[in-house]
Amino acid sequence: MSEKILLIDDEVDFLSAMSERMKARDMQVTTASSAKEGLEKVTAGSFDAVILDLAMPEMDGIEALKILKEKNPDLQVILLTGHATIKQGIEAMKLGALDLLEKPADINALTEKIKTAQARKMLIVEKKNEEAIRKIMATKGW
Amino acid sequence: MPWRQSKPMTVQYDSIGGSGLQFFGTVSASISHELKNVLAIINENAGLLEDLTFAARRGAPIDPDRLDRTVQNFTKQIHRADEILKNMNRFAHSVDQFESQVDLHDLVVLVANLAARKAAMGRISLETTAPAQPIHLTCNPFLLENLVWLCLELAIAATGSGRTLTLTPEKTASAIRLHIAGIDGLSETLAMRNAAGIEAILAALGAEMTTDPAGHTLTLSLA
Repeated sequence: MSEKILLIDDEVDFLSAMSERMKARDMQVTTASSAKEGLEKVTAGSFDAVILDLAMPEMDGIEALKILKEKNPDLQVILLTGHATIKQGIEAMKLGALDLLEKPADINALTEKIKTAQARKMLIVEKKNEEAIRKIMATKGW
Repeated sequence: MPWRQSKPMTVQYDSIGGSGLQFFGTVSASISHELKNVLAIINENAGLLEDLTFAARRGAPIDPDRLDRTVQNFTKQIHRADEILKNMNRFAHSVDQFESQVDLHDLVVLVANLAARKAAMGRISLETTAPAQPIHLTCNPFLLENLVWLCLELAIAATGSGRTLTLTPEKTASAIRLHIAGIDGLSETLAMRNAAGIEAILAALGAEMTTDPAGHTLTLSLA
């Protein structure tokens, strides 16, 4: 199944090249060149994973991650950064990021992370569906 | 013509203590972040070529326009990295001489280039205005760069997103000044709060800083 990805980065040349490579790997890619635009697109659509740059104008990746997770705790977010520090990594994980990858990222490593994100999302959806069915059955006395 | 006799270099560097080292570190970290972004774009474009080659080996036609766009992306990023490294090199060599004659506009352009990423993070643009005639002064170039950087930090912190800060060197019969205009939220309180690091360098350079909140301008009197 094709993965639905939202790629958020203020470097438009990076967005264009990375999204083309992801599309060549049969992913459905939406791009946003700011955290604000990314937040709007997350509200409007459904994604298996959000790939989020850490250093962006106005709102950085950590701040955007906080808002994304508040809005949608099940959203799978992979952070990208020029220089990953242990402090940033810990903060990102505490906020619920799936992983923190360093730029330049290896497309195969990123693809693996995206597949993990999609699998996690499917698991969450399945659990929620099971829970909903259980509730219906309990209500009906089945 | 020398505008002021500088103090011995040890006195000058001692007077700013860790602040100068912090400035050097901050600029170096910013440069390394920018270069990482350049490398990331080059990496993705190299990957694109790899993908196109892989597809071509399996019989897919190669679009020359697509190849051309990729080559242009490489060239653009190489020029970008070259500019970053030229600025880095000039900045690193500014500690070579503890006193030298500097072209104020050139120095201001260099610091504005180094601070461009920091400004861009707040969606602020930096513009420099060239004087009609070159303005030269003799001073410690590193200290003056540090001073302009700290003033820009103050200006960026005070200014709202989407604004433009304009740096204008000026020479009159009696003075050499640098004006930083367009600082929206400038107040005496803000200037005082951020003045700690600036004061030591002002003293070392024998310069003065004045703020005009109503005119949204900060002025450094350098001679």
